Amino acid sequence: MPVWATLDAAAAPAAAVAIRRARSTFDPARIPALGVMGAFVFAAQMINFPVGAGTSSHLVGGALLAYTLGPAAASVVMIAVLAIQALVFQDGGLLALGANIVNMAIIGVLAGYLPFAIWGSGGRRRAAIFAGGALSVAASAVLALSELLLSRVPMPRPMLAISLAIFAASALIEGAITLAVVEALDAMQPNFVRKPAERPLALAALAVTAVLLGAVGVLFASTAPDGIEHLTRIQAAGLPERWLGKTAAGLGGLALIYAVCLVIGRFAVRSRAAAGRSA
Amino acid sequence: MHHVILERWSRGRSPLHRRDPRFKAVALLVFLVVVATAGQRLPLVAAVWFLLLCGTAVAARLPLAAAAARAGIVLSFTAVFAGISWLAGDPARALSLILKSYLSAFAVLLLVSTTPMSGLLHGLERLGAPRFLLMVAQFLYRYLFVISEKAQHMHRAALSRGFGGSRRRSGRMEAAAGAVATLFAKSYGRAEGIHRAMLARGFNGQFQPLEPLRAGAADWAFGAAAVLAPIAVRVAIERGA
Repeated sequence: MPVWATLDAAAAPAAAVAIRRARSTFDPARIPALGVMGAFVFAAQMINFPVGAGTSSHLVGGALLAYTLGPAAASVVMIAVLAIQALVFQDGGLLALGANIVNMAIIGVLAGYLPFAIWGSGGRRRAAIFAGGALSVAASAVLALSELLLSRVPMPRPMLAISLAIFAASALIEGAITLAVVEALDAMQPNFVRKPAERPLALAALAVTAVLLGAVGVLFASTAPDGIEHLTRIQAAGLPERWLGKTAAGLGGLALIYAVCLVIGRFAVRSRAAAGRSA
Repeated sequence: MHHVILERWSRGRSPLHRRDPRFKAVALLVFLVVVATAGQRLPLVAAVWFLLLCGTAVAARLPLAAAAARAGIVLSFTAVFAGISWLAGDPARALSLILKSYLSAFAVLLLVSTTPMSGLLHGLERLGAPRFLLMVAQFLYRYLFVISEKAQHMHRAALSRGFGGSRRRSGRMEAAAGAVATLFAKSYGRAEGIHRAMLARGFNGQFQPLEPLRAGAADWAFGAAAVLAPIAVRVAIERGA
């Protein structure tokens, strides 16, 4: 139970950071563009892509928005999409909004933008776009699954394997759709998709590894939920109530993840500044 | 499109429609937390809460059966997890998932079908939600219908050109990608037009509400009742075990 509350608490500052960044990097007078792009995300889901075996799929859009609007603005648009979805379409639920925001609007968009930010301007651009689409869906799905496991929804092993296989397939599909749409956009008007700044390769490899390790780590931690509690037992030890302890443990775990993200982000900014000086 | 119904309901006339959106939003939030944390004797508590919500819907002059059915849409999402819990030998948990998600969805539905979206977002802004995000949400909601209709037109046009008959999957994939890209370009162009039109009318970076929110005695009374009633029900039933 405390999992949703923890994520609601975590979503608020994360959303605040995204909004502040979007305001500073995106001309506030162009707010209508963000709203209309949110409407586009809804509408694009009506267009079906054939993915074989008689089934079809549609665009999720987090990565595509990040490539065209920049990651912070894309996060804000996805938050608005999720909020309207929870209010108007009766899916997901309002208390789960925090979890959805963290999974899809924050981590999903960042994970989708990462490969593009690193390789998006070189010869590996197509691969980066594909990887971004795939990574955004994979990260969101793995996080959602982990949160379910952490809130102790019973999940038999075969079920876990099946859901992971489905996630992998939908991640690859999102990658393919994102790539196809970006190529169509490039053919139409090349300046729709932004040009990322140059980055050094070592940092790139490090960041991608960190994301992958993080995702896998969270999944493993949640299949053995006592692991994370153990990790943050220091905070939890003094608290009498069991659920209070759990919440504290969850918050501690989140703080840990935040700290890791902060360190990576700081590192990225510094090396970008260094690259700027040497250029 | 189904959300047109909500739009119509939210413009109805009833004492509930007239209440300040801030009080309704706070009452909803309290209710959601009280529901999510309920545990003991849940079926009985849930039944009383359901009656409370039905009463509210009737007081708001909403079609009760249609509203109760609409709230059931959420069950298509939670039924999966409830099924898993049931199969894993935890029927109590499955039942609690279903009851809680349904009651939460019903409560959210009551809020959005008694408050027009613009009023709701304005109320949330006054409660401290970030304005930038709310403005994005406002535009999103406003153009949701417009862009969706455009997508439907494009789909129909593609069908009339013989789209879908192609045996080559890669060809259809390309066509769908082209359609999404076209929709993107049209939306983007539309946004620029909207922005220019707004500047031409003197938009200064924030919305001016037509009528400012004013909290009267009726709003405070409603807010107190809506916050306390669900809590009282839960406490009374849990204590009376």
